[in-house]
Amino acid sequence: MTAKPKTIWDRLEDIPREILYGLLLVCIIVPMLFPIGFPVPISVEVKRWYDTIEALPAGSVVMVDFGYSGGGEPELAPFAVATYAQLFRKADIKVVTMSTSNEGPLLWEKAMTELNIARFGKEYGKDYIHIGYIAGVETAMAAVGKSISATTTTDYKGTPLSKYSIMQGVDSAEDFALLIVYTTGGDQSEGWVRQWYTSYKTPYLSCVLAMMVPTMLPYQKAGQIVSVVSGAQAGQIEILVKAPGRGVKSADVITVTHLLCIALVVVGNIAYFGKKFSGGKS
Amino acid sequence: MELASVVQIWLAALFTIWIYSIAFRDNPFFKFAEHTFVGAAAGHSLVYGVDNILRYGWAPLTAGNMLYAVVFVLGILMYMRFHKTYFWVSRVPISVIVGIGIGLTLRSTVTSEFIAQIVSTAQMKVLGLGAWEGFSNLLFIIITLTTVYFFIFTFPKAQGGRLSLISTIARYGMMAAFGYSFANTVLSRFNMIFGRIDFLMNTWLVLPYAMLALPVVLILVIYAMIPTEKRPWPKPKN
Amino acid sequence: MSIIMKKSVPIALVFITAVIFLLEYFVLPTELKSTVTMLQNWGIILTAFTLGFGAVNMIMFHGKQVSRRAKGQWPYSLWLLIILVLFTLVGVIMGATSTQYSWLYSSSYFALSATVYSSLGFYMTSGIYRALRAKNAESALLLIVGVIVLARNAPALAAQFPILVNMDSWLSSVPTTSAQRGIMIGAALGAIALGLRTMIGRETGFLGQTTEGEKGG
Repeated sequence: MTAKPKTIWDRLEDIPREILYGLLLVCIIVPMLFPIGFPVPISVEVKRWYDTIEALPAGSVVMVDFGYSGGGEPELAPFAVATYAQLFRKADIKVVTMSTSNEGPLLWEKAMTELNIARFGKEYGKDYIHIGYIAGVETAMAAVGKSISATTTTDYKGTPLSKYSIMQGVDSAEDFALLIVYTTGGDQSEGWVRQWYTSYKTPYLSCVLAMMVPTMLPYQKAGQIVSVVSGAQAGQIEILVKAPGRGVKSADVITVTHLLCIALVVVGNIAYFGKKFSGGKS
Repeated sequence: MELASVVQIWLAALFTIWIYSIAFRDNPFFKFAEHTFVGAAAGHSLVYGVDNILRYGWAPLTAGNMLYAVVFVLGILMYMRFHKTYFWVSRVPISVIVGIGIGLTLRSTVTSEFIAQIVSTAQMKVLGLGAWEGFSNLLFIIITLTTVYFFIFTFPKAQGGRLSLISTIARYGMMAAFGYSFANTVLSRFNMIFGRIDFLMNTWLVLPYAMLALPVVLILVIYAMIPTEKRPWPKPKN
Repeated sequence: MSIIMKKSVPIALVFITAVIFLLEYFVLPTELKSTVTMLQNWGIILTAFTLGFGAVNMIMFHGKQVSRRAKGQWPYSLWLLIILVLFTLVGVIMGATSTQYSWLYSSSYFALSATVYSSLGFYMTSGIYRALRAKNAESALLLIVGVIVLARNAPALAAQFPILVNMDSWLSSVPTTSAQRGIMIGAALGAIALGLRTMIGRETGFLGQTTEGEKGG
C-alpha cells in the first residue's frame, strides 16, 4: 500500500522542529548583531513602580527580598539593578536586603557588581546591607517582620549586625517604608502579602517572572500590592532611571521573536484550516 | 582579565551550549551537563542548609540558649525518614514544621485571599459610570462569581441543565486568562534565552580563541548526537 | 500505644503548634509573642535541616547506580556525586559566600540553572506552532487573546499601535484578573479546608509512608 503524497497543508503543518529552533536562534542573534533600536513604551505599572520609589521621603528604610534563583536571573536581574540604581541615587535612603532563595546572596553580589556600586558613594553597613538567606519562606518572612534581631544577629557573611549603623532603630516590618520583592517563586511573592502587608500594611512592590504576573494581579487590584511588574519590563525602568542596560538591549530581540511567534501561529492555523477544508484529517 | 574569571566564563559557556543541545537531540554532553546541574543543586542546597543551621541554630546554642539543643535533636531525627523501621520518628519534627506552616497560612489567608478579594469585588461600581467601564466591571464580577462557582460546586447536578451556563462563562473567562498567561510565559522564556545568548556573544565570544572554539564545540556536539551504532568512532563495545 | 506514638502524637503536635500561632495572631499577641518567636526560629532551623534531603536522596540513588555499574549511567552518576561532594566541601569549609564557592557557583550551577529555565523557550516555540489552533470557540478565544498580548509584548508593535496597549490593559484588568481572583478564592477555601483537616487529623499526607495498622485511621 503506497503512502499518500503529502499535500502543501501537510508540509505546512509539519515543519521540522530543527527549522523552528533555527529560526528562533536567527531571530535572537541577528537583532543582537545588527541592533535596530526599537522604542520601548513605558507601561502604567512600571511608571507607578518608579513613582513610588521617587516619592520615598529622606530617611526611609527599604526592605528588599532578593529571592530569585539562577533560572530567573536573566529576566529579573536587569530590573533589580535599575531599581537599586534609583534607590542609591536618592539621598538618605537605606536598603536592607534579605533572601528567601538560597541562591539570593550570591546573585545579589552579582547584581551589585553589575551595578558598580562604588559610583554611588554608598557604604556597606551604613547605607545598605544584606542580612543573608533565611530558610522557611513564610516562616522567615513572619520572623523578620516580627523582629530581625530575634531572627538573625549577623549579615550574609557572618559579621555581627551590631557592627553596622544601618540596623540601628531598624528591627521589624513597622520600621520599613517600603518592601520590594524580586522572586521566581509564587510562594514568596504571595507570602509577603500574607505575612507583611496583611499584618503591617507595608507598601509592597512585586517584580516577578512575566508568567507569574497574572496570578499576582488580584492582589494589585485589591490594593495589597502597589505595583506588579515583570522582569521583562526592565528596559522601561532603565529608561526612567536613565541607566540603559540589558533590559533595553533585549527590546529588539523580544520584538523580532514575538513577530516570529505570531507568524508561526498564523502559519499553523492556515495549515490546519487549509487541511480541514480540503478534506484532510489533522 | 584574571585566569579564574576566564576559566569561569569558558565553563559557563560550554555548559550553556551543552544544555541547549537537548532541544535538538539527546547526547552525552547534555547528559554530562544535566548531571552536573543536579549534583550542584543538591550540593548548593546542602551548603546553605548547613549555613543556616550554623547561623540560626548553632550561634544561639553556643551563646547559652540551651533550648536550641531540642531543635538540633529534632533536625537530626528528620533524617530517620530514610530508615526502613524507624521512619515514623521523623514525623515529630515534620509535624512542627507543618503546624507552623498551617498556623502562619491560616491566620492571614482568610484576610488576604478571601476577605480582601471579596471586598474588592463587592466595591466595584456598575452603575453611575461610563457604559464601557460599567460593562467591564459587571463582566469582572460575573467572571469572578462564575469561576468561584465552577471550582466549588463540582458535582454533576450543579453543572448540568441551565446551570451549565455558569460553567461556560467561567471557562471562557479562564481561557482568556490562560491566553494572557501563555503570552506572558513566551515573553519570560524568550527573555531568558536572550540573557544566555547575550552572555555567549558578549562575554564568552569576545575572549581570545573563543570564536575558534565555537565551531569545534558545535561540531563535537552534533557528532555526539549521532546514535552510537552509526558513529564511526568510538566503536560500541559488543 | 504504638499507633498513638506514631500517628496521634504528630497530629497533636500539628494541632498545638498551629493553635499557638492562631491564638497569638487573633487573641493573645503579647502573652504568646516570645513563644511564637521561638517557634518561628525553630521553623527556620528545621527547614534548613530539610535542605539536605535532596543530597541524601541523590547519594542513595546514584550511589546504587555506581555500585551496580548500571550500563550507560554509572559514569554520569559518579560525576554527579563528585560535584555534590565538591560543592559541599568548598561551601562548608570555605564558606557559602566565599570567593572560591562563588566561583564554583557562577561557573557551573548558575549557568546551568539559567540555561535549563530558558531552554523551555524552544519547546514553547514548537508548541505555539503545533498546538495553538482555533479548533473550537474556547481555543479560538485563547488564541486571540494570546496573539493580542504577544503583539503588545513586542515593544516596537506596542509603540507603533497604541491600541494594543489599551486592549492588553483591558484583557489584564478584566478577564485575567477576575478569573485569577476566582481561582484564588477557590484555592484559598481549599487551603483553609486542608489546613483545618490536617489539624484535626483527617488529612495525614504529611505523615509520609504509613504502615497497614496506621491506615485504619
